[in-house]
Amino acid sequence: MTLKITNISKTYSTGAVQALKNVTLTIPHGLYGLLGPNGAGKSTLMRILATLQEPDEGTISLEVSSPDSGHVIDVVNQKDEVRQTLGYLPQEFGLYPKVSAESLLDHFAILKGITTRRSRQVVVEALLRQTNLWDVRKQKLGGYSGGMRQRFGVAVALLGNPKLMIVDEPTAGLDPAERVRFLNLLSELGENSVVLLSTHIVEDVSELCTRMAIINKGEIIHEAEPLKAIEGLKGKIWRKIIEKSLLPQVELEHKIISTKLLGGSTVVHVYSGEEPVGFESVPPDLEDVYFSAMAGHYPQRAGLQPK
Amino acid sequence: MKFTEIFRFEFRYQWRHTSTWLLFGLFLLFGFLILRMVTLPDGTYLNAPGTIAFFTVFGSVIWVVIGGVVAGDAATRDRQTRMHPLMYTTPVSKLTYLGARFLAALAVNALILLSLFAGCLLSFYGPGAKTQFMGPFRLASYFTNYGFLALPTVVATTAIQFTVAALSGRAIASYVASILILIFSQFGGTTVHYALEWKVLGSLMDLLGTSIVVEMEGWTPIDKNTRLILLEGPWLWNRLLWFGLAAGALAFTYFRFRLGHVIPNTPWTRIFSRRSNPGRSPVLTSPDASDQGNRDTSPINLPNRFRQFGITTDVRQTLAIARTSFGMIARSRGGLTLVALLAIGTGLFAPEYMEWLGVPLLARTEEVLRTLTPALSSFKTQWIIIPFLTIFYAGELVWREREAGLNELSDTTPVREWVLLLGKFLGLSLVIITWVTFLMGAGIINQLVMKYHHFEIGVYLKALFGIQLTNYLLFALLVYAIHILVNQKYIGHMVAIGVYGYILFASMIGLEHNILIYASDPGWSYSDMLGFGPTITPWLWFKFYWVSWAFLLAVIATLFWVRSKEGGLHARFQRAKHRFAAYRPAFWMAVVLVAGSGGFIFYNTNVLNAYLNQADRLLMRAKYERRYGSYWNAPRPVLVRTRLQVELYPDEQKAEIAGTYQLVNRGKVAIDSIHLSTIPQDGIAAVSFNRPAFPMVLDDELGYRIYSLKNPLQPGDSLQMHFKMHIEPRGFSNTGVDASVVANGSHLTSDWMPVIGYQDDRRLRDVRDRSTHGLAPRTERPSLYDVAARNDTRHAEQIDLEAIVGTTRGQIGVAPGALRRTWTKGDRQYFHYATNAPIHNDYAFFSARYAVREAHWIPHSPRSGQTFPNPLPGSQPTVKPVTIQIYYHPDHDANVERMVKSAQASLAYYSREFGLYPYSHFRVLERPGPGRGMHAEPMTIDYQEGYSLMNPRPAGLDLPYHIMAHEVAHQWWGLFLSPAAVEGAGVLVESLATYSAMQVVEETLGYEHLLRYLSQMRLEYEVPRSRAAPPLLRANNQFMNYRKGPFALYVLRKYIGKDRVNDALRRMLRDYTPNPPLPTTLDFYRELQTVTPDSLHVMVHDLFAANTFWELETQRATAKQLKEGTWQVILELEARKMTVDSIGMETNVLMKDWIEIGVYAPTAKDQPSEKVLYLRKHRISTGKQTIILTVPEKPGRAGLDPNHLLIDLNPGNNTKKLKMEGVL
Repeated sequence: MTLKITNISKTYSTGAVQALKNVTLTIPHGLYGLLGPNGAGKSTLMRILATLQEPDEGTISLEVSSPDSGHVIDVVNQKDEVRQTLGYLPQEFGLYPKVSAESLLDHFAILKGITTRRSRQVVVEALLRQTNLWDVRKQKLGGYSGGMRQRFGVAVALLGNPKLMIVDEPTAGLDPAERVRFLNLLSELGENSVVLLSTHIVEDVSELCTRMAIINKGEIIHEAEPLKAIEGLKGKIWRKIIEKSLLPQVELEHKIISTKLLGGSTVVHVYSGEEPVGFESVPPDLEDVYFSAMAGHYPQRAGLQPK
Repeated sequence: MKFTEIFRFEFRYQWRHTSTWLLFGLFLLFGFLILRMVTLPDGTYLNAPGTIAFFTVFGSVIWVVIGGVVAGDAATRDRQTRMHPLMYTTPVSKLTYLGARFLAALAVNALILLSLFAGCLLSFYGPGAKTQFMGPFRLASYFTNYGFLALPTVVATTAIQFTVAALSGRAIASYVASILILIFSQFGGTTVHYALEWKVLGSLMDLLGTSIVVEMEGWTPIDKNTRLILLEGPWLWNRLLWFGLAAGALAFTYFRFRLGHVIPNTPWTRIFSRRSNPGRSPVLTSPDASDQGNRDTSPINLPNRFRQFGITTDVRQTLAIARTSFGMIARSRGGLTLVALLAIGTGLFAPEYMEWLGVPLLARTEEVLRTLTPALSSFKTQWIIIPFLTIFYAGELVWREREAGLNELSDTTPVREWVLLLGKFLGLSLVIITWVTFLMGAGIINQLVMKYHHFEIGVYLKALFGIQLTNYLLFALLVYAIHILVNQKYIGHMVAIGVYGYILFASMIGLEHNILIYASDPGWSYSDMLGFGPTITPWLWFKFYWVSWAFLLAVIATLFWVRSKEGGLHARFQRAKHRFAAYRPAFWMAVVLVAGSGGFIFYNTNVLNAYLNQADRLLMRAKYERRYGSYWNAPRPVLVRTRLQVELYPDEQKAEIAGTYQLVNRGKVAIDSIHLSTIPQDGIAAVSFNRPAFPMVLDDELGYRIYSLKNPLQPGDSLQMHFKMHIEPRGFSNTGVDASVVANGSHLTSDWMPVIGYQDDRRLRDVRDRSTHGLAPRTERPSLYDVAARNDTRHAEQIDLEAIVGTTRGQIGVAPGALRRTWTKGDRQYFHYATNAPIHNDYAFFSARYAVREAHWIPHSPRSGQTFPNPLPGSQPTVKPVTIQIYYHPDHDANVERMVKSAQASLAYYSREFGLYPYSHFRVLERPGPGRGMHAEPMTIDYQEGYSLMNPRPAGLDLPYHIMAHEVAHQWWGLFLSPAAVEGAGVLVESLATYSAMQVVEETLGYEHLLRYLSQMRLEYEVPRSRAAPPLLRANNQFMNYRKGPFALYVLRKYIGKDRVNDALRRMLRDYTPNPPLPTTLDFYRELQTVTPDSLHVMVHDLFAANTFWELETQRATAKQLKEGTWQVILELEARKMTVDSIGMETNVLMKDWIEIGVYAPTAKDQPSEKVLYLRKHRISTGKQTIILTVPEKPGRAGLDPNHLLIDLNPGNNTKKLKMEGVL
């Protein structure tokens, strides 16, 4: 099971913003994190993968390996086939307010091709229990809280055991416990599916993703395995605590990747091959990888692509 | 400050909307075009205040239907965009917020309707204006119409739209509010006003001004050109009431609206189904039950269930989507209840509208279906709500997921496009099926309340679920596809309504071919006699054609269905191109079906039959006149005898006719050629003469032939002409199939037969039509003073007729005359008829499975003292009994006995008063159709089924009896006495027949019954009717012929007595011959003057020779008891008399007329009618006058013309309750 994205570009006619520039990625099964700031093109990419948008250029193929023989689905042109293995959780969605969770999930089960009543009952019950919605299954969706709605969306996405799971910033509405649970769930699902998780929260990726890509302004600026990326930054991230007023001067002298306010003073991280004067070494974390990438400290990503 | 800012922002925001500009453009264009296209009758100006008022109302209706978007958007945009938490937390008061938003919407709407007026002005004064139809510019015409008609409509409608939208939180609710306003004001108001006759309530309900438009029917051309709509009388109250409603609605909004968090499911929001976007907004109203501990942290274990994708799944998915779609509409409050309520109301109120001229109708299914099955293109029906709701719910379904924000979840499910599309359409179809079931319920309730218990469920199913449902589903698919293709909800609604408007009004803009008007057909009818008859085959073909179109539309909609974020045109085309691969077979199949069925229909309507639209028909008539008009006065022989062999084949709808005409030269010169007019496009065959002749002109297209005789026909000589005709529908035409010969109820008239000579009747009559076709100007009918026209006696000529009618066994064939013989040959039955006295060349053949009721009438000798000879020439005064035969559909037997009684009484009365009935038979035959009247031919009367369905109350007005008496009277008036075809001819035919029938009614049913009849007829005076008219002698319309004429005769009779009036009538018959010159109303007027005393000649003049109106009023009426016990009554009266000419010019006339003064005793409770204490004619002059009388008893009411003999448009003030003064 591999998703191959090759040279995808997308430009919106309104405002002529190029949302994606020549994106190429290979996503194996497992949990894959797509990290990027707001407006980086994450959602556009996710929607293209979820058959909701069309790229201007490029191809996407989903290689399905099955025990006997594999086949390749053209995601752009074989939408019906993609949808049969797709689970999609959009960043933002609504629900019919006057329907109960159970009946709407049942409806979606039919739409997802689970047509026999018995199968639906089993699947719907299992999913509602898994998402902790079983006790409120009779309640109208209009009365659901944000977290409950998000979990309902997860249940819909999980219907029919998708082989391609696209989740767009799913953890925003979840409380910490739910978030962990959900990420575990995705990780488990990734054992034999492609699970693509987009987020702007670095922790989401650092904890569970086996691979990740960082996207900014429509371009993939870094693709790596999170642990290896952190490893690669060892000895290159330096920290200094300075007065806020000195920040402009430090910015002139060093390649600052991030600044944080901490109790009245400012903690500055810089990226440097050698130790800058007055800075101390810190063990890098994924956030440093992210900021380094954003600050442009990775060379051509082509060189970093796994063979 | 905040107020102006909110107003300014809102106004500018709306101003930049495409839909706002569309509306502006639309109304500008509408105002411009409609006033360029319209042609006005009777000399009304295009820029007359009345004309502008009419189009203001018309435009307002359109605006109400499509203009809801402005108020809806202003009221709900914050909530729909979920910006409301930002907006509501700013320091702006509720009054400022709502007030500014409302006023901005109001301003935009007011400007939109103002653009209608701009369009009008552009039309009037822009380039190419028709200045010849323009009056002087008058600013007040625009101001009053805008200020008193349009603006109040805008204020009230915007307020209600705003209220409903603001309180429900859904912009679309304003659209629903508009439809409800329209139904309430337009259909409710009209129904209450005219059908239920609660006039005050009806005119108050009328927001849009329809009642003013109706009232304008009664305006004279001068009125229309000068009179302004002002705030006065009921209209003032109407405007105040609607302003009050608007203010109330706004106040209600103010108190109910909350600048706060939106809580779902308050009662208000449920009225228009779903809340705005509740699913999307983070609502935290219910405790998060699952968060209360009990959290499952075990690893994920998803059951792996088998999924399959194939046709079974497609079907199940389709049904699932259909079910939820139906559920959504059914659960919304308006979805099923509106139609259900309307259906129940239609059923329960049936006794109020199921009547004709005050006579209740029999609620047979045939009759009930008339109100339940309007054509899709009919807008004068309450069921117009079904297309509107269909448009609305089609939009809701198409936008359902996107509005709930669920689309990204549902669009990515593995469901095929066609499944989504079909599923939703099935859901909508289920709703429509439910509505149609309600219609059936309405019919059954109707029959129950009318105490009719023979339910023909099979007929209901065919008419409602076969025909109506098909139309509604076709329409539903059209608007559904429009919503999908337009992909913008409000513009989708506008386009759908625009397309619906096209269906409604296509024929008015000259598009008549049913192949061009979606879902249309040549029409259908259902009748007890005929069933659906020959209408069903063309109907099925047209529906097959439109279903093919619907299929094609569905395929195209599937291709362009937006199932992603990509709504751009380019992306949609790309997607469609890609999807096309899968839908190619369906697409081409649909194209083939459309082309195939369209081709077949076109072959039928335009190849097998000539396709003629209205303009073509006018052109043909013009050509006929131009080409052959010069033969109008060519010498021609007279038809004296017709022999016909008519073979009817009801099951094949065909007829074979072989005929022989005996033609005589009655003129003084030899005739060298025979001219024939035949039915255009059809022609006749095998024309031959019993002497050498050869064709000179054979023009079957226009229907004219000329045969030149080798040896001219000398004066006094005669010749025979033989011809054959073959009548058979060739497929079907755009108007369906000719219904002359049908399975049961054939009615083949003499109009099919060739006519000798040029037919002047085919001329174009409308003055403007004549001028556009370059024909010499002629008035619509010849003037009363046109002496030459009196010498045209063609329509009065008489023939002998002998006919053999053959038809299938089991049917009775009927022709005029005595039945000589009947025989059977194979499976055919033959009937041989011959007349015993000459008849007009106007006859018909009938064939049906009739039941026959036979009766006789034995004439007595004419009444003593009657000296004039039997006026009917050529017939021996017979004392043989006359056979009366009623041929009726066996199920329609309710009125048969009263028909027999009426016929007997009428024959007896007229024979006694006017002269003997000349024929041996008197026949009445039923034929299929909804008409309620009858039609008289010599010795034969036919009527459509609608007559049979009248069901008079036991003691109520017996209209069928009266109609029968009227038609019998035509045997004297119209069929014996044929007046000259000039103005006023209708008075000598229809007025005299009605007046004669009134006498039969009086003699047999009593004077009370006559008064009941008169008061029912008088109601028609109350229908708004222009006072401008020519005098009765020059009568030119039905109202004058059927109402005003008989009334005038009745009034004269009240003045000079029945015998004197009948004397004048008898003199007309006595002096009549079918030779020129034929009589006119001038002759009749002379006879009336002869029988009237000199003192009343003025009255005869006022009634007949002038269009006279009286204004009679009792201003003060007092009474006091005199010493001797009698009572003195003092009446202060005011009287005035005027004449009104054809354009509405009034002239006061000095009056000195004999008018009744009446004094009546107070009505006691147990007395049905008032006791008359005094009733005598006094000479009343113009102006005020006092009359003092003495009566023996205590009077109650007194006044002038208490019996309303004279035409007074305000008859209520003729009499007054007496004021008692102290006893002397």
